[in-house]
Amino acid sequence: MIALVTGGSGCGKSTWAEKLVSSFPDEGRVYIATMQVYDEESVRRVARHREQRAGKGFETVECPKDLAKVQVKPGSTVLLEDIPNLLANEMFDGGDTDRILPAIRDLSEACRHLIIVTNDVFRDGIIYPGSTQEYIRRLAGLNRNIACLADTVCEVVYSIPVILKGEMPCV
Amino acid sequence: MKLYIGGICQGQEELARKDNPGAEILIGFHESVREALSRGEDPRAFAQRICGEKPDSVITADEVGAGIVPIDAGERAYREAVGRALCVIAQFSREVWRFTCGIGVRIK
Repeated sequence: MIALVTGGSGCGKSTWAEKLVSSFPDEGRVYIATMQVYDEESVRRVARHREQRAGKGFETVECPKDLAKVQVKPGSTVLLEDIPNLLANEMFDGGDTDRILPAIRDLSEACRHLIIVTNDVFRDGIIYPGSTQEYIRRLAGLNRNIACLADTVCEVVYSIPVILKGEMPCV
Repeated sequence: MKLYIGGICQGQEELARKDNPGAEILIGFHESVREALSRGEDPRAFAQRICGEKPDSVITADEVGAGIVPIDAGERAYREAVGRALCVIAQFSREVWRFTCGIGVRIK
């Protein structure tokens, strides 16, 4: 299955996505980390996520760009975290944003379950300078396209999962 | 405890008052988180303290996390802290209501 998990800042979407992964039999669990570590805050964030995942049997693959490079075993469950970082890296660090969606499609066919974390950044009513506005537009497009592919789309609202598409998984 | 959330002015405060006559209502919990942060209090610990001290209260809050991550480190920390604190409150609450255009949807 493909599941898209969205939500705002600090809403508990990662925790819920990890729970969803853990609800599937462990036939290989891969965590695709997309965040580039460049300052103390991102170091702390990575450390917090690593601690959260500890003991859940994840193999961590670093992939800030070019998702198609990631090889996963058939039968595995993959947690891709997250689309906003992957897009930012492709867009602002010499990548190619058009390769994201095809790579997600291929990845979903290569593994058994693909859980994708994204972010809701669309409701602050602020008009940003050109490149940020373009980033928002592309992120929204990716979210919509991934939601079309997904069996389940879930918004996490302060730890409470709200299903937007498909069935509530047994988490 | 009950939690009423939504975007700015979505009707959560009015309905919290109307639906819970006589209850202690804590309006604008997101601002309380900002004050807790400025006191140097951990947002989760702050939320747990409120659950312990006022377990029968009704809490209203604005959702503040659904925008572009702020450049300002303090604003970034604030948004995330509101999220973490409200996760604690939502877990502790018997009911969680989310408001859009004055319409509440019970999500827990």
